[in-house]
Amino acid sequence: MMTTRRALVVHLPAAALAGSVLSRMTFAADKSVTIGINVPLTGSDAEAATQIKDGAMMAVDEVNGMVAGYKINIMVLDDGTTTAGQYDPAQAATNARKMVADPSVVAAIGPEMSGSGKAMAPILSQGNLATITPSSTNPDITDPKFAAQFRPMGKAIYFRTVTTDAYQGPNMANYLVQTLKVKKVYILDDGGAYGVGMADAFEAQAKKNGIEVLGHDQLDPREANYTTILTKIKGLSPDGLYYGGTSLAGIKLVKQSRDILPNINKAGGDGVYSAALLKGAGHPAMDGWYGTIAAPYIAGNPEVAPWIKTFNEKYGIGPSGYSFTAYDAMLVVFDAIKRLAAEGKPVNRDNMRDAIHTANVKTLQGTVSFDENGDIKDRTVSVFHYEYNEKYPVDDLIHQYKYLGVAPSTS
Amino acid sequence: MTDGAILLQQVINGLSLGAMYALLAIGFTMVYGILELINFAHFNVFMIGSFLGLWALEALGLSGQSRVLTGLELFGALAFAFAVAMLGSGLLGVAIERIALRPLRGIPGTTGMITTIGVSYILFNIILLGAGAESKNYPNPMPRLQWNISGAVVDLREVLIWAITLALMVGLQLFVSRTRLGKAMRATAQDSEAARMMGVDVDRVIVAAFFLGSALAGAAALIFGLYYNYTSFLIGYSAGLRAFTAAVLGGIGSVPGAMVGGVIIGLIETLGGQLIAVRWTDVIIFSILVLVLVFAPTGLFGRAAPTKS
Repeated sequence: MMTTRRALVVHLPAAALAGSVLSRMTFAADKSVTIGINVPLTGSDAEAATQIKDGAMMAVDEVNGMVAGYKINIMVLDDGTTTAGQYDPAQAATNARKMVADPSVVAAIGPEMSGSGKAMAPILSQGNLATITPSSTNPDITDPKFAAQFRPMGKAIYFRTVTTDAYQGPNMANYLVQTLKVKKVYILDDGGAYGVGMADAFEAQAKKNGIEVLGHDQLDPREANYTTILTKIKGLSPDGLYYGGTSLAGIKLVKQSRDILPNINKAGGDGVYSAALLKGAGHPAMDGWYGTIAAPYIAGNPEVAPWIKTFNEKYGIGPSGYSFTAYDAMLVVFDAIKRLAAEGKPVNRDNMRDAIHTANVKTLQGTVSFDENGDIKDRTVSVFHYEYNEKYPVDDLIHQYKYLGVAPSTS
Repeated sequence: MTDGAILLQQVINGLSLGAMYALLAIGFTMVYGILELINFAHFNVFMIGSFLGLWALEALGLSGQSRVLTGLELFGALAFAFAVAMLGSGLLGVAIERIALRPLRGIPGTTGMITTIGVSYILFNIILLGAGAESKNYPNPMPRLQWNISGAVVDLREVLIWAITLALMVGLQLFVSRTRLGKAMRATAQDSEAARMMGVDVDRVIVAAFFLGSALAGAAALIFGLYYNYTSFLIGYSAGLRAFTAAVLGGIGSVPGAMVGGVIIGLIETLGGQLIAVRWTDVIIFSILVLVLVFAPTGLFGRAAPTKS
């Protein structure tokens, strides 16, 4: 059909109504949904954020952007800013409003960071828009105690394909006492929602385990000099150091603690199990550090090897622990769309939220299902130890970190 | 470690920090002394200086902490990196003066100062977009040599920092007190109008002040990178604000004041952190800034600003 652009504009409504030649086009236009991905692509979290986004995009590419007849549009939003130098909760809130304001957005993946999650959750609750975070682990956001603050409309909208710091911090405290025999520990955090929550949860369990907590102080992530606090810690002679926080403060802590506190057990959470930290601090500063992720160890599963290979080839970098959980999160969203389509229900926000909440989906990490607050039912925390391997790139998480096992859970 | 050894260690840490702050504070004080302008671009000249040093070391094939140099090789590598960082930062300072500040000279009020804030943001964003946001792994080619002084540890790096800072300070002091250009600088700082009438080329003096101040910031930046093995586009602000406080404490406009102020701020940061709490050090330092501005605006070594005719 030969037609000029002007003619097409004029004839389009009529043709669509007639449902003739253009019916396929209108069909496709009706059946498309948007999924938001909100991660901090600007600032010091950018690398980890990209690995998360890429993990989610693996799932989209595998189905060529079509699920149950719906075209999947992806809206990527960046909640990192140059003023913060890392994730910025204010930007996260703006992004949440943007997604809520767009009726085509039916579900979201993200955020990466708990500080962003705290800012986004109330807005998403108002819009009844479900988000699945592949990495933010602060327990408050889904805790019913804080429901008035983080889900004012009542229904769970913040789902996770990782467990929370209510398990990550304490389980590592158990590991420190049971396996590493740590007796006196000093705790540092970076002042962010994630870091503080993690360090506090660790501290509570460490005390229960009979570890002497010599102190708990805060690092300013925009500050460069940590020698003062580390020298102070050295004077207290601990045999363990625990850090709750992300890579911005983490890199400087790792470097400066190597000189000042060379021979003690140093551990952190998923903020330490990060490619940015490996690249910025690397060998030999990282030697001896322990890190955790709030998920099972997926990369060790031989069935996942082809997935990792594809990821490497596509993006030129290995996946992080949370590339897997981001992929899993996207699978949960797709499964919800499929079930709604099969039941003949419209794929809108309200139905998607309900469908995600009742998910029971086979993913890379096993079966994902959520409790009444949106937290994943599987509460595995995996422990890793940094052991430099010169055969692989310095920021290759899978090869530079050795998997040690599952951190013992409490009770 | 005993309490005494820890305190001594904090004094050592404080001296290293103080050396950096002092070098950085001189840039604020020199420009203020001559133009009565607070140059906020100085923060990010420092930041760019650290990147220049990083690129210089990387150009020599040094990256990460894998390679350690000794003897003449180490000296050559450091001399090259210092030359690049100082010359590059110095020229950047001159360019900022020429492009952004000279056209505004003679306009009274805060126009110049606000312009430097704008320039600061431009530099910040150039590095953010050009070099990326991630923290950079700064090479450290120095061998791990340590000495034990009654329980406290002194690293070769720290000795080098003190030696280089001291040499630069003595050099600067000689330059300002002995050379013709230095004399012209002091004259311009006292009364630029009278200096001009006596035949002093004020433009040249201003260019020299920007060059020297920025070059010392470049040296401070390289020291920063070698000391912490780290740099990023963010480093300008916290170090810059402290150095600025040091300049005010020493008496803004006074070069010896900036040196002493820098060391005092460094010691307050580490000893305050040790004896009170690390999270209170910012409060202590910036309270000093406010107290000095309110009760002793001329600082330790400053003089009251000459009245403009």
